[in-house]
Amino acid sequence: MSKWKKLLGIMMLMFLLLVAAACSDSSSESGSDSSGDGGSSEGESTDSGSDEPYAFSIMANLHTPEVPADKVLEKIEEATNTDVEIQWVPDNNYEDRLNTAFATNSLPEAVFLKNQTTFVQFRDAIEDEQFWEIGPYLEEFENLSKLKENVLDNTMVNGKLYTLYQGRPLSRQGIIYRKDWADNLGLEAPTTTEEFMEMARAFTEDDPDGNGQDDTFGVTDRSDLVYGAFKTVASWFGTPNYWGEKDGQLQPEFMFDEYVQTMDFFREMHENGYINQDFPVTSKTDQQEFFKNGTAGLYVGSMGDVGSLKDDAIAINPDVEFDVHNYVEGPDGEFGIWAIPGYGNLVMFPKSSVETEEDLKKILGFFDKMMSPEVANYAYWGIEGEHYELVDGAAKVTDDSALFEREVKPFQALEIGEPETNGRYVGYFDYEPKAKSEELFIDNENYLIEDPTVPLYSETYSQDGARLQQIITDATYQYILGQIDKDGFDAAVEDWKSQGGDAIIEEFNSSN
Amino acid sequence: METSTMSAREEAKQLKKMKRSETWRRIKKNKMIYLMILPGLLYFLIYKYLPMYGLVISFQDYKPYKGIAGSEWVGLEHFERLFTSSEFWMIFKNTLMLFGLQVFIFFPIPIILSLMLNEVRHSFFKRSVQTLVYIPHFMSWVVIVSISYVMLTLDGGIVNAVLETLGLQPINFLLNDEWFRPMYIIQVIWREAGWGTIIFLAAITAVDPSLYEAARMDGANRFRQMWHITLPAIRSVIIVLLILKIGDVLELGFEHVYLLLNSSNRNVAEIFDTYVYVAGLQQGQFSYSTAVGFFKGIVGLIMVIFANWLAKRFNEEGIY
Repeated sequence: MSKWKKLLGIMMLMFLLLVAAACSDSSSESGSDSSGDGGSSEGESTDSGSDEPYAFSIMANLHTPEVPADKVLEKIEEATNTDVEIQWVPDNNYEDRLNTAFATNSLPEAVFLKNQTTFVQFRDAIEDEQFWEIGPYLEEFENLSKLKENVLDNTMVNGKLYTLYQGRPLSRQGIIYRKDWADNLGLEAPTTTEEFMEMARAFTEDDPDGNGQDDTFGVTDRSDLVYGAFKTVASWFGTPNYWGEKDGQLQPEFMFDEYVQTMDFFREMHENGYINQDFPVTSKTDQQEFFKNGTAGLYVGSMGDVGSLKDDAIAINPDVEFDVHNYVEGPDGEFGIWAIPGYGNLVMFPKSSVETEEDLKKILGFFDKMMSPEVANYAYWGIEGEHYELVDGAAKVTDDSALFEREVKPFQALEIGEPETNGRYVGYFDYEPKAKSEELFIDNENYLIEDPTVPLYSETYSQDGARLQQIITDATYQYILGQIDKDGFDAAVEDWKSQGGDAIIEEFNSSN
Repeated sequence: METSTMSAREEAKQLKKMKRSETWRRIKKNKMIYLMILPGLLYFLIYKYLPMYGLVISFQDYKPYKGIAGSEWVGLEHFERLFTSSEFWMIFKNTLMLFGLQVFIFFPIPIILSLMLNEVRHSFFKRSVQTLVYIPHFMSWVVIVSISYVMLTLDGGIVNAVLETLGLQPINFLLNDEWFRPMYIIQVIWREAGWGTIIFLAAITAVDPSLYEAARMDGANRFRQMWHITLPAIRSVIIVLLILKIGDVLELGFEHVYLLLNSSNRNVAEIFDTYVYVAGLQQGQFSYSTAVGFFKGIVGLIMVIFANWLAKRFNEEGIY
């Protein structure tokens, strides 16, 4: 008995220690946080003459499961003479953290925004001069002044520039499919939506893997109407990119017939079992798993994913063959593909943490150096010989892609501009479909469908747009699943209009 | 006349004064004991009452950069928006439905379970069952919902595979609003029933064994003993726990419901907690979501007062 008591005592003690350790850990973390904050004033006092590294912090999204090691960051700090603390926030709950930090006035000196939607949400605060206007300073910086004018125009608020952008190919959307399955069945890459449907059918019903079992289906999709398959397929049908012009007036995409056609297309695939039945609740991981493990044969999304998909799929089945494809005509005989406004992410500088113009210039100085080839390569490719090698003037990631993923990939979130402006190496890919996907990004640029509302402003949209969109998103899924019919969908659109949609249409059109 | 009332008032005053000084004297006398409750008192003041100051933003058009002092006052605008919104009744109804499931279906289960365990003779069996049923309590909702997802999905889930081999139609558990509530309450029972059992079992062990002896002498069988001795003995515990449960009326487990929520079941699964999260944290409507949360809190308070009043009517001790 006493032995048990002793054991219990020891366990309690360990538990206490654990708690204490956890507490001290978090306190030291918050301590360093605050020192990062205080860093700005510190830098100010020491900047007269000395070469003390300038300390500040950046909040950025983390696309990998783990926070990266400091190795690459140290290189960046050395090259820019700064002491940067990066607050990594998982991409999944970036909005929460961003809003919480903003509400509690604890944004760091440089804040990445995630995407266009969050940028629209912050519009109000930007107009209220809560962030530094950086337009007038850009000329002072050799590299920042190279940023593309047309993309900068897309990020202006009332004609003033508040953000630096991170360039991304305008459209990376397309199909990744099982080449070996298609060859087994004698199918070519689909060039029309009908052929796409036929491929989805054949992959489901004609036993493409030849194992005599009914264990495959066509398309794997996830709970995302934008970056999943839906929006890309909608583009093939000729649906506008969020907003389009009809009867001389801007209207949202879901008021167009093409949107309904796309829903019918998905409904047919769902009814016949050509798509995973639970796709409205499928995560990205599960979606990709179906593709990797040979359950599904068609993946619609960013064609660049083919590289990482292949790495994992090969481990399960070494005979897997993938290919990428972009050109799919709709019923009207035309191919179109939706485009992002030229930036993937934006970085802003809150006045609450960047107190003086001098500080702002130092931070802009950091991002200016981030746009020099040397530093941009550190952030994007890591250290030469360790993370990548040069092949024909292009960077080729070494065979240890896990190492790259761990130590370098997160820092790609800090890139400013694009290869054309920051001079970093472009990628060299010896995996042929991956190289092809890079070419198709460029090919896509001939068929872009742009979002006409990017330079426009609607107050209601900025405040209520996300909540209203939920009505449409829900109705779209319900329609595809056959839970509501066209009347039900129209009712949802009416609901959207009456709850503020009418005001959004009105405001966008009057600012056009 | 006047002088007499004056004196009566004076007297009452005097009496009050005496009483007050009496209280003071007692406090002084037991100051060590009062000192001991100080940490608890401070805890509630600092962490529970002080933050309530933030509720004022529900009457403002709160802008973080202007702060509470600088934001514009808008009166009851946000409450008006809530009550006139088409979603309000849906959310209110959903919240009450889940609450009803919690009280009427979930709440009796630990009681029944503990009564059953109490009747088990084999102590090894009893103890191992007791341990096994409360282990799920330590699993997070993420794990529980993921397990159910993997089991129930149409894309290779085991439940539908079994249904199919039995020649039945597969059931779309995840994307069907009719299955949300059963799924919710079954998961709650699976996770929490065993944990609740412990409390009732503890109450049962406190029952005087001589009562059972006497009952047996009078020829009561096991069921009679349970009905006439065990249950009345733990009645006050049941009532207190019920009141506390009702106080949690709107704490239906945000995490749990949020994980189960999707486009097809929103009409039955959207509750106040999930609504506040989406509106407040994801879409940055701070004032509006505070107003929603405030309203939820008030409903909870009313329910507790009501339940307590009800308990007193039945001559039971309430929680205050």
